[in-house]
Amino acid sequence: MTTPDAVMIRATCLGRSFGPLWAIRDMDLEVFRGEVLGLLGPNGAGKTTTVRLLTALIGPSEGKATVDGLDVTEHPEAIRARVGILTETPGLYDRLSATANLEFFGRLYGLDAATRAARIERYLRLFSLWERRDDIAGTFSKGMKQKLAIARALLHEPTVVFLDEPTAALDPEAAYVVREAIESMRRSGRTIVLATHNLDEADRLCDRVAFVRGGLLRIDSPAGLRGSLGARGIEIGLAGAPTEAVIAAARSVPGITRVEVSDARLVVSAEHPAAVTPALVRALVVAGADITAVHEHATTLEQVYFEVMGARPDRGEAT
Amino acid sequence: MRLAIVTTVLRREWAETVRNRLLMSTILIPPMVLTIVPLVLAGVVGDRALPPALASSVIAQRPEWATFTVAELAGAFAVQQFLAFFLLMPAYIPLSIATFSIIGEKQARTLEPVLATPIRTVELLSGKAIAALVPGVLAGWVTYVVFVTLASIVYGPALFGVVTDASWLVGVFVLGPAVGLSSVVAGVIVSSRVNDPRVAQQIGGIIVVPIIAVTLLQATGTLLVGAAGYFILAVIVLVISLFGLRTGVAMFDREAILTRWR
Repeated sequence: MTTPDAVMIRATCLGRSFGPLWAIRDMDLEVFRGEVLGLLGPNGAGKTTTVRLLTALIGPSEGKATVDGLDVTEHPEAIRARVGILTETPGLYDRLSATANLEFFGRLYGLDAATRAARIERYLRLFSLWERRDDIAGTFSKGMKQKLAIARALLHEPTVVFLDEPTAALDPEAAYVVREAIESMRRSGRTIVLATHNLDEADRLCDRVAFVRGGLLRIDSPAGLRGSLGARGIEIGLAGAPTEAVIAAARSVPGITRVEVSDARLVVSAEHPAAVTPALVRALVVAGADITAVHEHATTLEQVYFEVMGARPDRGEAT
Repeated sequence: MRLAIVTTVLRREWAETVRNRLLMSTILIPPMVLTIVPLVLAGVVGDRALPPALASSVIAQRPEWATFTVAELAGAFAVQQFLAFFLLMPAYIPLSIATFSIIGEKQARTLEPVLATPIRTVELLSGKAIAALVPGVLAGWVTYVVFVTLASIVYGPALFGVVTDASWLVGVFVLGPAVGLSSVVAGVIVSSRVNDPRVAQQIGGIIVVPIIAVTLLQATGTLLVGAAGYFILAVIVLVISLFGLRTGVAMFDREAILTRWR
């Protein structure tokens, strides 16, 4: 998977400034064929700028990038023909029907009439919009608009799909539908770049996650990122608040590095939680603790996010 | 530039325009009014004679009207004022369509997905410009043909001769499209800077000031612009429009739209 041919997107020292302000700088990134990569970062971190650079919508100020082997500066039209993009807002023509919206974009992508008709039907059916195909897009719910926008991004069967905040401002039901659509794209083997604020979404959908803030801060699989924080733990549920004796018993168990008390819970840190759990439970019972639950306290992507973001000074607001 | 892509943009623009009732009313109502008002005015003038000084001034500038009766001269002078009004259609209709189209896309944020396709900005701009220009110019021409037909039926050959002389033909068929182009250019430039179509139209409306000035000069008998005058005006407007077009194209640049249009 790491051979050069398998790399779909490659950025080398990629940077883009707006006036004196750098939105993104020194970005080195490789995205593999068929991979789902999450771009995570706060507002103004440069996620949208990164997506625009990699879709040849804007040019880099420094560095270079290739998509499917094509340089974004030298072959912008060819790249735009190969990638699909879901922009931050659906950007549909509200006075036109769902079919007319897709028909317009199908023509812009140079699809012939038969191909357009077949694909429009396929994607409208896939996203359960076929029955509403003649309704104007302005009458659609947010979720339906987002699905129509995703259908538009897939119409020309792109090899890479960029999704910019696909579930932002959607209600849970609509967000679920959109995530299902992303899962479907993933199963079809497309390379997907997902820019999002939603950590849970990134955790569930992405093979790797890139933390971005004015540049690439860290990139790894969600599991790898969680593991990178080091200590993991065990959460012990108790019938009541722990006594001093119970806390002391927990601290006395070899392999325990830290004990935190929270109401009727003990959160115990250890390098190897599974190894110390039996001894810990025995020690707590001996000390008089009434244990109601024991489970591993896994590090969340959110904890990793704050750890990573907190470690880097601001470079200024980006677009 | 690929014609198929330009046509695609053009068709979508028109599909949206015909569904925009406000825009359609601003396109359709004024031409109807402008067809009727000059003829009614010519009738109202009736047998009234022009003041002698004005009549002399008019005949000095238009010697071919010297054979007209008093009533025909008054009618011809009244109707002549409205040639400038036929230039208003190619001035304001493209402005309305261009501003609604571009600012509408800014507000709905529909341009980014379009720019993410292999379309070239020149194709997008051409499609939009033609979509805005053609209805305005056609409205001016169709209204003129209807006006001439009615004038010949109602007022006879003298007035028909006035509204089909070279000054009218050059004004409607040469200066009209040039004014239309300048209107599109103004629409593109102003629309890139403001976010309300009505504000854009008010600012872009400055383009009709020269037309109103010509109307006033004609109404006072100070200057009756002839065919040569309208042709020179057309060349001047065209040259200014082409200079403006460079600014418009620069403002319609893909990166500018995505990063600077707010």
